[in-house]
Amino acid sequence: MDIKKVNEKGNTLEIKNLVIHYVSEDEVVKAVNGVDITIASGKTLGLVGETGAGKTTTALSILNLVPDPQGKIISGEVLLEGKNVLTMSDSELEELRGDKVAMIFQDPMTSLNPVLTVGDQIAEGLEIHRKISKGEALKQAKEMLELVGIPAERAGEYPYQFSGGMKQRVVIAIALACSPDLLIADEPTTALDVTIQAQVLILINDLKQKYHMSMLMITHDLGIVAEVCDEVSIVYAGRILEHGTLEDIFDNMRHPYTKGLFGALPDIEVRRTELKPIKGLMPDPTNLPSGCPFHPRCDYAMEVCSKLPPETKWLSDTHCVECHLYKDTNESML
Amino acid sequence: MSNTLLEVKDLKKYYKVPKGMLHAVDGVTFSIDKGKTLGIVGESGCGKTTAGRAILRLVEPTSGQIIFDGVDILKLNKNEMRHIRKDMQLIFQDPFSSLNPRKTIAQTIEEPIILAKMIPDKNKRFMRVMELMETVGLAERLVNTYPHELDGGRRQRIGIARALAMNPKFIICDEPVSALDVSIQAQILNLMKKIQREMGLTYIFITHDLSVVNHFSDDIAVMYLGRLIEKAPSEILFANPVHPYTKALLSAIPVPRIHNRPQRILLRGEITSPINPEPVCRFANRCNYAEPICSKEEPVLIEIEPNHFVACHLKGINANA
Repeated sequence: MDIKKVNEKGNTLEIKNLVIHYVSEDEVVKAVNGVDITIASGKTLGLVGETGAGKTTTALSILNLVPDPQGKIISGEVLLEGKNVLTMSDSELEELRGDKVAMIFQDPMTSLNPVLTVGDQIAEGLEIHRKISKGEALKQAKEMLELVGIPAERAGEYPYQFSGGMKQRVVIAIALACSPDLLIADEPTTALDVTIQAQVLILINDLKQKYHMSMLMITHDLGIVAEVCDEVSIVYAGRILEHGTLEDIFDNMRHPYTKGLFGALPDIEVRRTELKPIKGLMPDPTNLPSGCPFHPRCDYAMEVCSKLPPETKWLSDTHCVECHLYKDTNESML
Repeated sequence: MSNTLLEVKDLKKYYKVPKGMLHAVDGVTFSIDKGKTLGIVGESGCGKTTAGRAILRLVEPTSGQIIFDGVDILKLNKNEMRHIRKDMQLIFQDPFSSLNPRKTIAQTIEEPIILAKMIPDKNKRFMRVMELMETVGLAERLVNTYPHELDGGRRQRIGIARALAMNPKFIICDEPVSALDVSIQAQILNLMKKIQREMGLTYIFITHDLSVVNHFSDDIAVMYLGRLIEKAPSEILFANPVHPYTKALLSAIPVPRIHNRPQRILLRGEITSPINPEPVCRFANRCNYAEPICSKEEPVLIEIEPNHFVACHLKGINANA
């Protein structure tokens, strides 16, 4: 999607026309197929989509961590404050990772080192990036623990001594230790219970404001988006089908897939006898449909949808959609 | 004749662990009418899955009574139990690990029919498999495919077909849609509702997802650390939750809208250990309304209005914040 209208100054992250394929001997998985993302300084973008939409691959590209050699970056740029991450040397990347850009992974159970104390794991990044002594790093690590709501005296304990919610707090402390400009959170609360999820989301929101960080929040949960994001991109089969502010997407959604996503959710307050599922299945990324990737599942598909990929249509300064229904006019044809 | 299909009385399941006794399920009592759905909700470790398995005697309950269709099943021997299990089936959470990777769809669905010696004739059995596949919306051409060739939604359909193969009266669904994407989740939930209507099935629906359970269940039971703390018809539970934990749980659901967002009740701390619990309210240490009595006595489940049961010393009277 072409996000040219956004002011290029003051953007923490710009991804331009990113295409990533996973190539194996007998097939090519087209994971990301021309994604454009812009995150302004201090803002949070929600990347929303279902399994296999290409969310995590996109996120990994920001740290140049797309699995090598099967992951191939076919084209595109990932610019962090104007510098292309994809062409950086190993030492430049080392400086970047964990310092300017940090990532919180989905599963706190597997993203911590089981044989290091949590204090050491938080201090590690500080020692490397801030070039301070181990003692000083540990002192700062303890401050980070307090910040995420864990008593400093637990710094000497190992991950197995913490519950799931506490482990995710440790992961957040590691990510924030070097006060990054950009935080990538890949389904940070999916593995947690709802009451713990509520605690962690509030923590993330508080810290984001405190450090004035930009954030990329990857999630499948529109409830979480409503809570922490400023803007939303809806991803499907490696394309962004709709992008806008929270108001654009929640009050004024345009793309049939976005409407389908909202329609398929059970509403907590209105009991309906039937849910409205989106018909069919996610497309096979080794054999994507021609034209618009959503057309085989779309209730409004027209002849043109299977032939031509739709172009980006701007409906306002903040809201754009990739759909043939919106070719000539700003008004909905639905 | 009563309309009750299943009655569970004071069901307990304890596990012996090095530090003492782990009270996974600790005195759970409820009943379900024929054709209805009871949702059991709670967070990890509250005992909801263990309760489901104990009802099917897949784990042997420590004590209690389970009366299914008029029969006290804890008194049955292995053979009698095997017979009655045809009527009680289970759908598992994870369609990726609950299917045998070396069996085709047809073999997987056929297996329970062979084991129960229900249809000895091979051709008739195959017809039955095709019929089941149609019921759950699996295309005929998939009959010889293996689980790894299929997506999560289709795999879960196999799990459902397999549970239906015995013509059961009762199915325990343990987080049947948690591993699925929302667009597929809605397909499976609609399918399960349709089957329930057509076959007059009774469900226990175990889940941590409150929006799904509200959509699906007639009654909802909330569990916390092995105890049933509140039970009510779905509309009542959502409109008028009484237990402070139920209130917090409902308010913690992220709502997919940006206006009129509900006020959130934040809980302190995390779930405590289920090993050797003290005979006090197990939620007291996280409760925003706890009074001295809460850490002295264990509250019992009482009926505060018709069909609405709560186990809380405050009974919501002081907790209407």
